[in-house]
Amino acid sequence: MTFRTKLLFISSFTVAGAVALVTGAVSISTRRAFDTIDRERREALLTQFRDELAARSVEVARRVELAAASPGVQQIAAGAAEYDRAQTEAVTADLDFLDVVEPNLTIISSAHWPARFGYQNDWQIAPDDWHTSDVFLARIPTPEGSAMALMAVRPVAGGKALVAGGRRLSPELLKSLGVAPGMRALLWLPPGEVIDAEGSVRDAQKLAPLIQDVRSTNAEATGSVQWTSDRRSSEAFLALPITRAGTLAGVLLAGTSLSTQLGLERSILRTGVVVGASGIVIGVLLGWWTTERITRPVERLAAGARAVAGGDLSARVEVLSRDEIGELAQAFNRMTEQLLEQRERAIQAERVAAWRELARRLAHELKNPLFPLQITIENLQRARESSEFDEVFRESTATLLAELGNLKTIIGRFSDFAKMPAPQFETVDINEIVRGVMKLNDARLKAEGGATVQPRLELTSGSTQIQADPDQLRRALGNLVLNALDAMPDGGTLLVRTALHDGGVRLEISDSGQGLTEEECQRLFTPYYTTKQHGTGLGLAIVQSVVSDHRGKISVASASGRGTTFTIDLPWTQADSLVVTGESA
Amino acid sequence: MRRTALRSIAAANAVLALAAGLEAARRPRYGGELRVEMRAAVASLDPAVVPDDPAALGAQRQWMPLVFETLVSLDNHGRPQPWLATSWTHDAARKAWIFQARKNVKLHDGSIWSPPGGSIMVPDDRPIEQILRELAGARSAVTVKAEDGSLLGTGPFRIARWEAGKAATLVAHDQYWGGRPFLDSISVQMGRSLADQASDFQIGKVEAVEIAARDLRAPKQRGTTIASMQPLETVALQFDGGRVPAPVRQALSLSIDRTAILNVLLQKQGETSGALLPRWLTGYSFLFPSERDLAKAKQLLPAPQSLTFGYDRQDPVIRPIAERIAVNASEAGITLRQGAGAIDVRLVRLPITATDAWLALQDLTALLKVAPPSPAANSYESEKALIDSSGVIPLFHLPRGWMLSSRVRNWPRFDEVWLDVGAAQ
Repeated sequence: MTFRTKLLFISSFTVAGAVALVTGAVSISTRRAFDTIDRERREALLTQFRDELAARSVEVARRVELAAASPGVQQIAAGAAEYDRAQTEAVTADLDFLDVVEPNLTIISSAHWPARFGYQNDWQIAPDDWHTSDVFLARIPTPEGSAMALMAVRPVAGGKALVAGGRRLSPELLKSLGVAPGMRALLWLPPGEVIDAEGSVRDAQKLAPLIQDVRSTNAEATGSVQWTSDRRSSEAFLALPITRAGTLAGVLLAGTSLSTQLGLERSILRTGVVVGASGIVIGVLLGWWTTERITRPVERLAAGARAVAGGDLSARVEVLSRDEIGELAQAFNRMTEQLLEQRERAIQAERVAAWRELARRLAHELKNPLFPLQITIENLQRARESSEFDEVFRESTATLLAELGNLKTIIGRFSDFAKMPAPQFETVDINEIVRGVMKLNDARLKAEGGATVQPRLELTSGSTQIQADPDQLRRALGNLVLNALDAMPDGGTLLVRTALHDGGVRLEISDSGQGLTEEECQRLFTPYYTTKQHGTGLGLAIVQSVVSDHRGKISVASASGRGTTFTIDLPWTQADSLVVTGESA
Repeated sequence: MRRTALRSIAAANAVLALAAGLEAARRPRYGGELRVEMRAAVASLDPAVVPDDPAALGAQRQWMPLVFETLVSLDNHGRPQPWLATSWTHDAARKAWIFQARKNVKLHDGSIWSPPGGSIMVPDDRPIEQILRELAGARSAVTVKAEDGSLLGTGPFRIARWEAGKAATLVAHDQYWGGRPFLDSISVQMGRSLADQASDFQIGKVEAVEIAARDLRAPKQRGTTIASMQPLETVALQFDGGRVPAPVRQALSLSIDRTAILNVLLQKQGETSGALLPRWLTGYSFLFPSERDLAKAKQLLPAPQSLTFGYDRQDPVIRPIAERIAVNASEAGITLRQGAGAIDVRLVRLPITATDAWLALQDLTALLKVAPPSPAANSYESEKALIDSSGVIPLFHLPRGWMLSSRVRNWPRFDEVWLDVGAAQ
């Protein structure tokens, strides 16, 4: 992932996250505000309901007292009126329910159920209610079922009869509460009737768990009901028990429609999504523009660094600004300039060192034969007067010729190194090269007096045919084998291994000698560097030159006391080289 | 004399409740229009048409004799008396009866009613008592089809205006063979509720309106003239087909406290009964049990029952009785609920349309849609068979009451009713 992409992601996520956080915070605060308002409104509704109930209780008591004192009810109590006279009296007293009963509760006349005359009144209320002066809640049987009502009982004609009257707890009671918009009051009345300001509530069974909760705990409870599949039909309820004499007479449910709240939350969410999406788009565009400005010089720096890493120390980065990036570009350019200067200095130093080394070697190499030449010539001068001159002369000339031959050999070596020819590529089999070199050195392996070097070949069975110059390869491999033999003066194991490697063939030559130090490993391929007393330091340099001319790689691995391994990786083909087949050659 | 005697036979079921002293103190006078209102909506006075509606049938049977008459009539004791036929005898082979037609009887168009040969032959070899009973029935009234297709009768009034189910005007038949009636005309408004009738009566719009049995007392205490007749109506529960098992029907009958209903709801007007026909008509109604037995009713029910219950909620007599029956039934474990669709049991008012048990049962069988009684069977057996076959549960016999203007005299014999112009309203 690029730096620009990362910056884009970060800027986009930052914008989206900020919007999400703000949206969530607004939603939560909105919900809390709604909850607070709802609670206040519900509590106000409860207070209003209690006040209304109290006011109606007073009104019911007053009207029942008026009814008890009316001539009509007196006539009913005296048995001087028709059985349904209570209906007229109920209308006069503006009561929904009116029963005139004997002291034993036998109905004389019933306004709401005239046909029940002569029956025992079986209202589901406590017997004490009939003699209390308070208004009470009772479930009144009617032909259509039963209904909850606020009731009061008063004596008639000095207690010869009782008149019980009341008003139905109807939807009108709830309607009179004047609840705030979005709210409504529901009333659950035993055994299972639920009414609101409009009448019976449909799907009231959905409130059953909440009401059951209130009934079981006799304390307020909260809950919500989703009336339809649409979430906006959800309604939050606060259920409050209405108790009388310790028993539950009903449950008031203050409901608040959640449609407004949900609508607002949805609106906030929608706005948040829109703002977030817009923010992301804008963030991406701004981020793109910003990162473009930020990353362009960085990318140029990276390109410059890649060029430097690739060896192009002339690479430069354009300085476009005076900020940190600009300073970085300037520093980069200074760094590459310094690197270039250092490399030039290093090359010069290397050349000087090489010439010095060459001079030292030449001096060293030429000094050894020159000393015998000087001695031989001095011996000849001294022997000129002696009788043994002829014998000395022969020996001296032989020595001079031998030493001159040595000088010629030394000069030839240097000449060979200087005149390394260009490789002539043809298809060769590495395994065959290996076998040939090992065969050439077979005599030397056996000629080491007493010291046994055990050769071991591990050649791959795969095709090891590559394009290479066989003579140069033999020479390079021969140098490595000789080095390995020199490293094992006390004998050991010489292992030559070939293997198929990524894109070519790998060749490994290992000895079991004393090994090299790390410094020696680093300098091993430097021309004229040698660890041997009589080495020229050109063997491995030639090997490296051959490998390099074949576009291969050579490396050395060594550990003190565990021998040294040279690894050469050679490619299958030489793309831009002329392949010389055996026939054409 | 003869005319007076015949009238008394035709109206044998009526009992006059007017003050006889005042009646005797004034001499009847001719003229005036009697305006009457009633609940029933009668579609036709054609004797061949038997209305399905019990109230319409009762009204039709009450008004039809004013227009159409029968060959014979029955007196207070149910004995056949000559009417349009003055005498009867059988032929030589005793296979047919020959009724001698009354002479000088004029139809409502002024023409003479003259059967061919001055007599009517009835080919029937049954005993003459059965034949005479049938001929006294309303369905056997004499009608003559006029050229315009209308029916002509011989009764004391002719139909001057007829709006089926709504209103009618009957005009005095000047050439009536029994003598012209006192009234010039009778105007009848049909389909009027009891409340509307009472309202119209209060403002003097009409002279005679119906009054519910339970309300008979109060107007009388206020000085209003009330005419009540012997129970001419049976309140009964009628079951629909055989859907309701017999034990449930019996349990429902046993659960009803007839006495309480009679004493409180009906203000003791009428009588409780388990029979279709009232005691004054048969004398054996006590043989049909009507006592409440709640324990037995509960025993008859293996499980609580629920029946759909139908009744006329606008009927001020029927409605409270129905509501009380529902309360009584619930004690026995039967829930009577009002509902749409098929009605299991219905509370109805059945009219007693004749002073003869057999004739009255004949109309009841028509209303209850069962086979008519056999003329050969005695009335008790016929009535018991009718109750068993129809599954009807008789509950009460109610009197029919009228609230009359103080000007109305000789009610309810319309052919002798006259209006006292000098009487205070």
